[in-house]
Amino acid sequence: MSFYTINSLTFSYAKTDKLFQNISFDIDVNQHIGLVGPNGCGKTSLVKLMLGILRPRGGEIYLEGSNIKDISLSDVGKKVGYVFQNPDKQLFCPTVLEQMRFSFTYGSSEPGEDIDDKINYYLKTFDLIQYKNFSPVKLSRGEKQRLALASVLSRNVKFLILDEPSTGLDILRKKELENCLMTLKQEGKGYMIISHEAKFLDKYVDQLLRLRPEGVEYV
Amino acid sequence: MKIDPRTKIIIVFLISSAAVMITELSSLLFLLLLTLILCRLFSVALSGPIKKLRKLLYFLVVLALIQSIFTPGGEVLVTAGGMRILTTAGLETGISIIIRMSVIVFSALIIASAPAMDVVYGLIAMKLPYEIAFMVLLSIKFLPLFREEFADSLTAVQLAGADLVKIPLKQKLSLYSYVLTPSVIKALNRARFISLSMESRGFRAYPDRTSYCKLSMRGMDYVAIIAASAAVLLVVSYNFNIIG
Ligand SMILES: Nc1ncnc2c1ncn2[C@@H]1O[C@H](COP(=O)(O)OP(=O)(O)OP(=O)(O)O)[C@@H](O)[C@H]1O
Ligand SMILES: [Mg+2]
Repeated sequence: MSFYTINSLTFSYAKTDKLFQNISFDIDVNQHIGLVGPNGCGKTSLVKLMLGILRPRGGEIYLEGSNIKDISLSDVGKKVGYVFQNPDKQLFCPTVLEQMRFSFTYGSSEPGEDIDDKINYYLKTFDLIQYKNFSPVKLSRGEKQRLALASVLSRNVKFLILDEPSTGLDILRKKELENCLMTLKQEGKGYMIISHEAKFLDKYVDQLLRLRPEGVEYV
Repeated sequence: MKIDPRTKIIIVFLISSAAVMITELSSLLFLLLLTLILCRLFSVALSGPIKKLRKLLYFLVVLALIQSIFTPGGEVLVTAGGMRILTTAGLETGISIIIRMSVIVFSALIIASAPAMDVVYGLIAMKLPYEIAFMVLLSIKFLPLFREEFADSLTAVQLAGADLVKIPLKQKLSLYSYVLTPSVIKALNRARFISLSMESRGFRAYPDRTSYCKLSMRGMDYVAIIAASAAVLLVVSYNFNIIG
């Protein structure tokens, strides 16, 4: 059984003008996929459908065999880590440290796991340790992006969806992100990356999925 | 036929003042009827807002119930253990509260049905300083902004693994209040950016503003205002036993 099964999915915001129609594909839990397509073709919308934030107009999405509409957002969140395209939408805690801790306090943590160690590791990796007690709204664009990445990468999830994760990162920080992706690959965790950077995708994904209004295709 | 926004503002002002002044249940009912007729005439769609306001109505009913329990007088309707729970006077107070609030909300819908910019032009034409008129616009915009931010935060909270349905009430409340502050900050920031970008385009550079949109009151507007004031006056004088 695939991790994700997307079955003749159709979606549109308004009643008319379908964004895409009859899309079908499967994703395995250890696959590394790049999702590409021009601005406004619906990549972010497709991902939001896959997380259950939006509801399809037609077709179904299955996550580990159960229809996504029957799973609560939090249960999807426990399996799939999602980095939003806009970090402002993702950060909701009063301080950076609390943002990092949130999933462990309110979500799930594995028994015997040293949470503080883990959090510190990712804060250091993304150079955020000095902002520990800052409010996320005061961070710069790139720092917000780093925090969004750090908070999702530190979690225990099987699969990650990253919506343009390298946006706003400088060369050094992009390198750190790439190292993290490398580690994920070694750990056997899968991910799907939306990006417009062909070079970045070439290195870290095995397959490219191109989104078109009439369907998706592996290229 | 286009009604001048000033007409709507004046009529709504009249109706909501009357709603506050009126005390009798029967007059309030007449006022509600008048409001609904006016909504109809201004072709304000009521079904959508009523659906949205259902939660508010629930809150109002609770409020009315509490009021009716604590208002003594009239005949006793329900007792429990020798204590008066509900009296006719209390029931009347409760029902008047619901009707009064409905009148105010429905009449406000008449203004809300006009495009926001039209309301601003109307307020300016009524000699309100334009800074304040725009401030009104911004504050009207703030609530939806806040709601959007809050909803987005709740999505993010759940995707971070927190189950809003299953966690105990106490934890749920603390979680909501936890997310509230950042949402307010974000919504405020967005409102500030709007005002910044307005200023960077010359807003408030001069004491007066000319505008492309010219409002004009036509015969229909005067007729509407006069007819509405007459009707409101009738209801008010009925309430204070001046007539009938
Ligand atoms: N909430 C919304 N309501 C209505 N239309 C929307 C909404 N969100 C997005 N759209 C529209 O849907 C289309 C697809 O948006 P989407 O964000 O999925 O594109 P995208 O492929 O992620 O683009 P980008 O490469 O710029 O991130 C766009 O034309 C956008 O204007
Ligand atoms: Mg996008």
